[in-house]
Amino acid sequence: MDEDSRLVAVEQLYQQAVAEIADMRGRDALKTQFLANISHDLRTPLTAVITHAEILRDGMLGKLNNRQMESIKGIIAGGRQLLEQVGEILTYARAAGNQLTLSPSTFHFGEVVSQVTQINESLLAKKRLQLHLHVPEDLPPLFADREKVAHILGNLVGNAIGFTPPDGRVWVRAVAENRELTAEVGDTGIGIAPEYHDLIFEEFAQVDSTASRQHHGTGLGLTIARKLVELHGGRIWVESELGGGSRFYFTIPYSGNAT
Amino acid sequence: MLIVEDNELVTGALRILFEETGRRVTVAHSVAEGVAAGENDPPDLLLLDLSLPDGDGLDVASRLAKLGVSPRATVALTGRDDPASLQRCSNAGVTEVMVKPVPTAELLTKATQWLAAR
Repeated sequence: MDEDSRLVAVEQLYQQAVAEIADMRGRDALKTQFLANISHDLRTPLTAVITHAEILRDGMLGKLNNRQMESIKGIIAGGRQLLEQVGEILTYARAAGNQLTLSPSTFHFGEVVSQVTQINESLLAKKRLQLHLHVPEDLPPLFADREKVAHILGNLVGNAIGFTPPDGRVWVRAVAENRELTAEVGDTGIGIAPEYHDLIFEEFAQVDSTASRQHHGTGLGLTIARKLVELHGGRIWVESELGGGSRFYFTIPYSGNAT
Repeated sequence: MLIVEDNELVTGALRILFEETGRRVTVAHSVAEGVAAGENDPPDLLLLDLSLPDGDGLDVASRLAKLGVSPRATVALTGRDDPASLQRCSNAGVTEVMVKPVPTAELLTKATQWLAAR
């Protein structure tokens, strides 16, 4: 084969690869759109299930005995858990389709920490986990999307609780330096081997399926956290080793801050 | 009150909820049905799903308004909480937008508040 025909062959292979990549991107976009659609569609029947169950729980159709009440509460809890997971898939699909936008406001990070820890109180108590908060009151306020910052922190704290055995410790620490807020969510849990430190932020990746199944994860929590952090122009990373607990860090820049 | 929502599972649940708390409930499953039902029997409270088989749920409110039917409260119940949908509701002048599923206790408390206001 002479030089010219070899060049033509390489050019053909290159064009073929470009076409295949475009095709795969197209399919990926379709799949993401499908995820968004199905998440919407799942919410409707879930609404019916939860509403009916709450009508029964509240005794509107007659008083329930204790066992019936326990059963109905199980239906509601299951429905709400499913709903939350559907919500995570929807957020992921929107992030993947670049459809997420920020609605920034001025707020104190400490308020978000209180909100997230309050939601997780019963889970912490159930596993007898100690929660330590190191969030200085004089941190400058953030100008960011409060709901999304709460979502990031909620996912990290949820993981810390989920992957830490009973009687362990979970902490949240925050510092403001170099014109950004750095938050740390740490735990004394099972930890993550270094070779997985990048993988865990990828879609649907879970390191240990046994632990993850116990944790009821969608495998999207860290991917969503990463996307929401990056949407703010921040960074997210982990320091951890197997059996040595994990420390997740993320930053939210103070640039454009109201202070 | 008038509930316009195409999913019968959801209207079934909402009908029980509101009837058991003493309200008279009419259910419609499309924009056309909603407008006809609202004109025929003007509601004090209008609950609207946004995506209906024959169009936008918010059209029910605007078309009823043109017919001189203005409920004391118009509330959008939606599965979509994206900013564009929320903005559309706010532009249409709805009393409140609630993302499904709204906890029943909250829905009942709010319904009382909406009807007491104005």
